[in-house]
Amino acid sequence: MKGQEWYQTAEVAEEYEEKRFSGGGRLIDRREKRAVLEAIGPVDGKDVLEIACGTGRFTVMLAERGADIVGLDISAEMLQQGRKKAQAAGVADHLEFMRGDAARLPFPDDHFDAVMAMRFFHLADTPASFLAEMQRVSKDLVFFDTFNRFSTRSIYNWALPMGSRLYSRGEVESLLDSAGLRLAQDDHDFVLPYGFYRQIPGSVARTFRSADTSLLGAPGVERLASVSYWKSKVE
Amino acid sequence: MKESMMDILCCPMDKADLELEVDHEDEDEIVSGTLTCTECGEAYPIEEGVPNMLPPDMRDDVPA
Repeated sequence: MKGQEWYQTAEVAEEYEEKRFSGGGRLIDRREKRAVLEAIGPVDGKDVLEIACGTGRFTVMLAERGADIVGLDISAEMLQQGRKKAQAAGVADHLEFMRGDAARLPFPDDHFDAVMAMRFFHLADTPASFLAEMQRVSKDLVFFDTFNRFSTRSIYNWALPMGSRLYSRGEVESLLDSAGLRLAQDDHDFVLPYGFYRQIPGSVARTFRSADTSLLGAPGVERLASVSYWKSKVE
Repeated sequence: MKESMMDILCCPMDKADLELEVDHEDEDEIVSGTLTCTECGEAYPIEEGVPNMLPPDMRDDVPA
């Protein structure tokens, strides 16, 4: 697993959100949260599992909206950050964090209404086995994102310390098919990659973001998007 | 972890039921303890309120 060692250190866990989601990164955070809510919301009273939940950005947000949610991650350091956040938000009574292996989940078949994983598949060395396991424990929805092979991300992808796997649409479709999942909805965004937004202040980022969004409206540009969101259903 | 999690948690290896042993509890939260598989006998520790459900082969090279 590519991120296994990288995300285990306390410094990486503590700085994780500050590094990625401040300044221009705030736009990324907002876009990702919207993607999650559009795909699996409304979640009130639903049983949700989040794989690779990290510091609980989505876990806590979904708990605030009434989901009974479990956040699973390999890193104890990231989860302790998540616990603090859940306690501060007052949602600790219907949210649980645990350490676990995404390929061998400690849950029975068909338990959750929705199983999701954000920023996970680019770290996955065996994506087919992870997706099959997500499908096993879900009775309805499976949602995840990928970073795209034919995009601006490929410019800096090789330099990332945690490693990163890029996907084409065809690869995702065949992964879904093998896992017994049917694509229900897909969305594509960020012609300018995440790494670009992280480097610039929030005010400047908004200008680029609006250019980015209107660019995506043009025909043929969608396939240049660096991020794709995939909502699928258990067959 | 809350005790109600026992309704859904199972052994990651063989998906059998687990038995809970509580070492330390704070109000309704289990802070430390052990979850033991009723089938294969593998033990999963609960540390700082977080159950460690990593299979044994992944636990050694991963610092707690």
